[in-house]
Amino acid sequence: MLDIKNIYKNFGDNHVLKGVSTTIEKGEVLTIIGVSGSGKSTLLRCMNLLEEPTFGEVWMEGKLMTPVDPYLHFDVIRASNTYKALAAQGMGDEEAIHKIKVEDLLKEKHHGRAEGSEFSALMKKIYDENHIDINLGRQKMGMVFQNFNLFNNKTVKENITLAPVKIGVQRLKDAKKRGEAVMKTKADLQAEADKKAMVLLERIGLQEKADVYPSTLSGGQRQRVAIIRALAMEPDVMLFDEPTSALDPEMVGEVLDLIKDLVKSGMTSVIVTHEMGFAKEVSDRVIFMHDGVIAEEGTPDEVFNHPQNPRCREFLSKVLY
Amino acid sequence: MEFLSNIAMIMAKYGHLFLITGIGYTLLLSAIAVVGGSFFGSLMALAKRSKIGVLRGIVTAIVEVVRGTPMLLQLYIGVFVFPLIIPPLNNLPYIYSCAIVLIINSSAYVSEIIRSGIEAVDPGQMEAARSLGLTQRTAMLSIILPQAVKNILPALGNEFITVIKETSLVSTFFAGDLMTSYLKVKGVTYLTLECLTITGVLYFALTFILSKILKAWERSMKAHA
Repeated sequence: MLDIKNIYKNFGDNHVLKGVSTTIEKGEVLTIIGVSGSGKSTLLRCMNLLEEPTFGEVWMEGKLMTPVDPYLHFDVIRASNTYKALAAQGMGDEEAIHKIKVEDLLKEKHHGRAEGSEFSALMKKIYDENHIDINLGRQKMGMVFQNFNLFNNKTVKENITLAPVKIGVQRLKDAKKRGEAVMKTKADLQAEADKKAMVLLERIGLQEKADVYPSTLSGGQRQRVAIIRALAMEPDVMLFDEPTSALDPEMVGEVLDLIKDLVKSGMTSVIVTHEMGFAKEVSDRVIFMHDGVIAEEGTPDEVFNHPQNPRCREFLSKVLY
Repeated sequence: MEFLSNIAMIMAKYGHLFLITGIGYTLLLSAIAVVGGSFFGSLMALAKRSKIGVLRGIVTAIVEVVRGTPMLLQLYIGVFVFPLIIPPLNNLPYIYSCAIVLIINSSAYVSEIIRSGIEAVDPGQMEAARSLGLTQRTAMLSIILPQAVKNILPALGNEFITVIKETSLVSTFFAGDLMTSYLKVKGVTYLTLECLTITGVLYFALTFILSKILKAWERSMKAHA
């Protein structure tokens, strides 16, 4: 469902991710653990492109969200002038590709010109055939932040209905432009969204808070509202970025319970967390990140009870759960 | 006692020059500067956030030059130098040239106010909006700007007060503001201290009342947040 291919992320000279690949299957619950600064949050943010990966590709449901990374396509490398020059020197196919990849020899990575017209044409073809508008891709991914990030200038209900209504209205406009018959009005969309918001608020027991501003809510309440705000877009996958790290201890439980509920209902989820007990309980798969790479990966039993990587063992011995 | 009776005499004879012409022109110039400044300042703030490097560079240069040179010098350039370069400006009354310079000056300051107002909004708000699939434009219009306005409006009020005081510089060209009234009345009465007192009290009254109004407004805005 969500394919992460060889993601690198540099902030200037700081190399945060150094080649991370993984695939999240439909219905799977993946948790990412690791020390602070190991790149786990950056990895999550690269998944919905809040951080643009320096290299690598993100595929959502078979659609490309990032630019094409030529290093991931052998035929593109073979079309490059650099490859042709190496081949002309008598270098073999495998050796030339290996050399180009390792030494980062392609000059224009995303918009090829220096590598010749065949190269740029192929890059464009792959992009045109596969890419999806980034906003469309993001609509299928709900994101929950450490600091909740509820819209301060909107009431709880408006927070939940804003995106569905705005995006719905945009879709109506687009449909009209294409000459399709449009039955709904903005008022219909708002009414629908309001109704759905109330159902979601009831689910977390906050229906009486519908018309208050987020600043009057407790941390736990804010985070639960943030979660259902993401759910209102009916995403196919939910990304949780340390959802309980900014909460007072007594409020962690209510948020984790809601996430557990969600996960049990079959929601595909990626969770970055420091709550090891929780990770162990809900995950299908656990990734331990260290220094920008996946250092250990497996079922919760494998990672928590029989870790192979010494760093992972050290990390787990230091955290309580 | 003579001081007070002199003031009374001046106010009786030349009161209209201070109260109507002077305050009128000062408020008019300030309003023009702030309104025009807000309009062009917004455009400059937008340009400063644009992806086009050249545009960003030009605007940054304008802002730096305007903030880094004295207002009086800018007025001299507006009044005496620009008409040399652009001949049609030759017949323009000084007050128009002054208004233009005031607008440019105010734009530079307002653009900084707007830029910092936008930047003061928690970046998490934009991230949350984008993560829901909203476009940059929609996120800006419905989430960021409404919150930025709350930072911007109080600072804009302060800018208005600053501009009221700065317009006094246009009296250098006898453009007609409150300070010009002072120069005129002082010129016929030779009563410098009395005229200065009247002018000072009037400036203070203007800015004091305005700042009180702004405070009250700010408070009501906070109450609605």
